[in-house]
Amino acid sequence: MFGEQGIQYLKANLTKVLRSQGVLLGLVLIIIVASIVEPTFMTVSNILNILRQASAIGIICLGVTFVMMTGGMDLSVGAIVSLCSMVAVVMMNTYGSLPGSTGIVLLAILTVLAIGFAIGVINGLIITAFNGRLGETFIITYGMQIVVASLALLYTGGQFVPGIFAMGLYQQLSMGFVPIICFLSLAAIMHVVLAYTGFGKQISFIGANMDCARMSGIKVSRLRVITYGICGACAGFASIIVTSRVYSASPLQGTGYELEAIAAVVVGGTSQSGGTGGIVNTILGVLVLSVLGNALNVIGVDANAQLLFRGAIIIIAVGLDMWNKMAKQRESTK
Amino acid sequence: MSRAKTKDIRPLELFLNQTVLFLLVGFILIMALVKPSFLAWWNIQNVLIDVSIYGVVACGMTILIISGEFDLSASSQYMWAQILYITLLNSTNNPFLSIILTLGSGFLLGTINGLIVTRFRINSFIVTLGTMTMIRGLCLVFTGGKMVDTQNKFIKALGSAEFLGLSSLFYIYLVVLVIISAMLAYTNFGRRLYATGGNIEVAHLAGINTAFQKTAAFSIMGVLCSIGGIMLVAQLRAGSTQYGTDLALTCVAATVIGGTRLSGGAGNAFRTALGMLVIVVLYKALIYLGLQAYYQNLVKGSVLILVVMFDLFMTRRRTTMKQERS
Repeated sequence: MFGEQGIQYLKANLTKVLRSQGVLLGLVLIIIVASIVEPTFMTVSNILNILRQASAIGIICLGVTFVMMTGGMDLSVGAIVSLCSMVAVVMMNTYGSLPGSTGIVLLAILTVLAIGFAIGVINGLIITAFNGRLGETFIITYGMQIVVASLALLYTGGQFVPGIFAMGLYQQLSMGFVPIICFLSLAAIMHVVLAYTGFGKQISFIGANMDCARMSGIKVSRLRVITYGICGACAGFASIIVTSRVYSASPLQGTGYELEAIAAVVVGGTSQSGGTGGIVNTILGVLVLSVLGNALNVIGVDANAQLLFRGAIIIIAVGLDMWNKMAKQRESTK
Repeated sequence: MSRAKTKDIRPLELFLNQTVLFLLVGFILIMALVKPSFLAWWNIQNVLIDVSIYGVVACGMTILIISGEFDLSASSQYMWAQILYITLLNSTNNPFLSIILTLGSGFLLGTINGLIVTRFRINSFIVTLGTMTMIRGLCLVFTGGKMVDTQNKFIKALGSAEFLGLSSLFYIYLVVLVIISAMLAYTNFGRRLYATGGNIEVAHLAGINTAFQKTAAFSIMGVLCSIGGIMLVAQLRAGSTQYGTDLALTCVAATVIGGTRLSGGAGNAFRTALGMLVIVVLYKALIYLGLQAYYQNLVKGSVLILVVMFDLFMTRRRTTMKQERS
């Protein structure tokens, strides 16, 4: 009798672990397979490289997570990265060689954060003015993407801007562990905000049930606007790390970043209908996609065929998540 | 509330309900005044060809949005149809067999989208984001990123054929539009689509197989994307992953401008055609006025945002008016 129960307990726990830690297991699996097929994958320099690459897109994902927690979507982040890259590099080119360049770097970061925040707030204001749901947030931020992307092109008439400023603090931002530390510390702050403060809990509540949140006295519109602002500011900050890395700015820098970011957040397990998920999930999602991309590169799959894997991963991850939820529901009704 | 009040609103209501029409007519009039050559026959022909190709896909998007879903992968499916059709045409030299196979492939892709959405109950934004990436990858792997072209005589004849001064593509569009509109308005299948999009739980309780309705809407979308792709091939005799990257969201914009609610359950295909006409006329006018390409995009994006805001404003207005009446 006892033995049977014990086996059942183990079984139940095993499926529980498999279900709740599916993404982590996937990540471990990809790493194991990649390092067996191609031993150079597991070198320190390659892993550092993956993490450095992941940190720029990861910072965008942190903001997108906030927006998706409220049951929204932000397609304008890629265009914000493009615009902010242009602004930051042009600013550094103009003033970066003057004395007191540390102050100028900080000023550039602040400007870019402000631009991102402002665009996000405009998104949020339009969306909340009409109480837009997922579909509307999608279309409005898509419109904003077109507008901001064309602003980025107009800024220099579509010209690519090489960096001509003196090497210094700005370059340091993408060297060694700096971008990784930036990403992880920002992630830690946002995790604490989301998981342990009233603000974070209210955001999750909005995503779970917006009408209910409104009835219980939460200032839904104001919180949503702030969330979109945070998302824009994150995209702005990511542009600093990207431009510091490539030492130049292109008006098409951020094209496609928004889809990469959404894919990573969704793979991590933050639900597109809002309310569930979190920063830790997103970090895992970012790692899965960047490790997968790097592993495919190292193994030698060409860029076009990688799209097939990327698309499949998105669908499989969300499908498993949904299947998992349905199974849980069935258990709870039993 | 009172009768007098509703009477006062009427002219305004008429205007608001037919805004798209007024917008279109006003816009064309202004353009005709600024640049009389805007109304030249060749320009009208060009506008109608553009409207026809995108309009076919917009018909499918209307059906999907009515049923409460959405398809981001339309652009990729459209590319795939062009590439597949040209490849088949070049290898079999049989235009009709190629058409049937291309439509079949579109049907299959659409059905796969639909089955994933309905079986796993995942938001269609995410599913079609995934399939969009995959189909695009497939196109790129298949062609190696190169453009494909054909010298087939039939397709050349189809693309340049004219009747009453209008391109054959326009007549294909008219046929599709009439069939889709008739299906939505007069068949049980159409009525069930509206019911599914309006309130899926009520529709389910009323005995409608909502999963079938949605999957069928996705399948129709797939077929229409293929038709659109074949029409583009007829016009350009070439196919590439560069053609139609903005197709999916342009179609959504046309549908919304035409007055179909994004939340599903209402709308009609003729009004989407009107919406598509507005968009194409706007784009052509921006080019005609000699605006720089970047400014064109700025205007496009702003118009899209304004239109969605207007749509949301109208929805809110209608619900408050309903509450006042009752």
